Amino acid sequence: MKFLKRLILSAFFISTFSLVGTSANAACKVHLGDFDWDSANVHTAIVSYILKNGYGCNVEVTKGSTTPIMAAHYDGQLDIITEVWRDNIVQMHEEAVTKGQIVELGVNTPSSTQGFYVDKATSDKYNLKTVEDMMKPEIAKLFADPEAPGKGRMTSCISGWTCYTINMVKHKVYGLDKFYTNFDPGSGGALDAAIAGGFKKGKPVFTYYWTPTGLMGKVDLVQLKEPAYDNACWTKMMAVVEDIKANGPDVYKKTCASAYVDMSLTKSATTKFANDPANKPIIDFVKKYSVPTAEVNKALGFYMTADGDLEATAKDFLQGSSAWIKWVPADVAAKVKASL
Amino acid sequence: MKKYKTYLKYFIYSVIFVSVIIISYRSAKPRYKPEHYTDIFKDFSWLNDWPKWLDFPLMQPLNSGFDWLIVKYGLFFEGINNFLLGLYTTMKNSIVDLPWPLVIAIVITITYFASGRKTQTTVLVAFCTFFLGFLSPRYWDKCIMTTCIVVIGMLLCIVIGIPVGIAMARNKKVRNALLPILDLMQTIPSFCYLIPGILLFGLGAVPAIIAIFVYAVPPLIRLTDLGIRLVDKEVIEASEAFGASKKQTLWGVQIPLALPNIMQGINQCTMMSLAMVVIASMIGTRGIGDEVLLGLQQLNVGMATEAGIAIVLLAIIFDRITQSYGEKMQERTQPKKKVNF
Repeated sequence: MKFLKRLILSAFFISTFSLVGTSANAACKVHLGDFDWDSANVHTAIVSYILKNGYGCNVEVTKGSTTPIMAAHYDGQLDIITEVWRDNIVQMHEEAVTKGQIVELGVNTPSSTQGFYVDKATSDKYNLKTVEDMMKPEIAKLFADPEAPGKGRMTSCISGWTCYTINMVKHKVYGLDKFYTNFDPGSGGALDAAIAGGFKKGKPVFTYYWTPTGLMGKVDLVQLKEPAYDNACWTKMMAVVEDIKANGPDVYKKTCASAYVDMSLTKSATTKFANDPANKPIIDFVKKYSVPTAEVNKALGFYMTADGDLEATAKDFLQGSSAWIKWVPADVAAKVKASL
Repeated sequence: MKKYKTYLKYFIYSVIFVSVIIISYRSAKPRYKPEHYTDIFKDFSWLNDWPKWLDFPLMQPLNSGFDWLIVKYGLFFEGINNFLLGLYTTMKNSIVDLPWPLVIAIVITITYFASGRKTQTTVLVAFCTFFLGFLSPRYWDKCIMTTCIVVIGMLLCIVIGIPVGIAMARNKKVRNALLPILDLMQTIPSFCYLIPGILLFGLGAVPAIIAIFVYAVPPLIRLTDLGIRLVDKEVIEASEAFGASKKQTLWGVQIPLALPNIMQGINQCTMMSLAMVVIASMIGTRGIGDEVLLGLQQLNVGMATEAGIAIVLLAIIFDRITQSYGEKMQERTQPKKKVNF
């Protein structure tokens, strides 16, 4: 009898709690996906700040590495992603779009640079300005790869991302592969640590990297000149890259190669979320959301000094810029302003 | 008198605690603090949420300490790095250059003698080794790399872990000092030492070996310690009664009797090394782990699982060899059932 009493009581409590929970969340609920690199963190923080304070939404952020987060997004568990490195996951992403799992919401950061970088000190000392300059045995010795005797090491992109294969093809086309290994660092954090470690120890650094990133503001890297970007050449190269990704490195064919195109980072939402009429104002806002690289770098600079306080970073960004007022209706803008 | 001493101790602790709080308050950023510190006692709104000024400033000293370590002891770490890397590359290159049937033959020979000529174990290990390459030809060289890293990591664990375990078993003070460190090593997230490992040693095999050591040595130390402490008091008393010195008791009685536990520790150590070597692929360690990582990064479940099976096979090989060797040792140290007078 006692057991039954307890059971009824606990059931009663659970139901009241869940009722209270749902009524508080009724306004709107957004689940954002966030990644393990800083520019994505900052964008997600800004968007969630506006959603929280302007739209009165209940915002939940889930952070993880690219594949699990994107998989959850395609699966409909995460509503909005604020920074998608579309070109790196182009196959997966386009498949999800054609299947109708997600809709793309336009450009986030209009231009981001990727390429091969050398630390400034070494670049000045040995006059390394272009990829051609790197192809000398005595230069390769500077960046010696301890695990591949006689070769230098270029810390490359993470294997599994398209840029890793692109770098591999580029190495072969430029002839860099005779001097350097295209070394997979395994994860974004490891790549950053390898660069930062090189600088801390005052060792030469030769790496693939990209902007906007917080680390770029802290270290002095010089981008090496490659043959200028050419659309026809790039398309030809990408065909080879996709072939290698599908069938392994043995299918490499001679191709041409050029510098990375300035890539635009995009945003996306799940179709289920975007099609819900209640979410229309949110989707309209996220569609308009776009921050130029320079401003992202500024926000990243602040983030670095803020001990990882994302809300403070978002506040600082919103206080310092007025571009965001155009993204949202006047009443929302007023609410956000009042909360700053 | 004794009570007075305890009170003094508590007083000193509370002084330290209060001064730490004051230091934290003073080092907090001005925008996180109230305008004047007396405001804290007038306005109690900070009791609702944890106030931002009540923040122990641990991150900065850790960062600068780490930078200091890199700058000051860079050469020292370089030395360790070169030694371990040299060991790894020579071992790896010599095995990779061998024809694969010969490698399988070597594994079979090792298993056959380590297991005390047990046919069943040998056949199982032989099949597992064959299947590593059979699953995908790509895996063969990668499995060799992984094996080399695990073996070097294990050797490091054994060379350091067993003596430390013995020291722990023989001295209570050492044990009390080391237990929290072992707890820390076992629970701290692996990325907390993997990423600093890159800063100190660069990308590649060496930070993986260090990570294996941090992750896999605690069970070995604990089991060695346990094994030696579990040796019957009577047996030790008997050996002392026969006039054995401490050294003789250790080598002649305690270690042989603790051997089953120590071997179990080595076995656990191997399994954990293998688990860590997969995580280490996230810091650019070449080996079978990057196949799993690659599969996951491309959302290719089949590829990841196939490589996962290869890791399981590798684990079976390691487990059977160490386990059967342990059994053999145990049989040898166990007193014979029939005693001839």
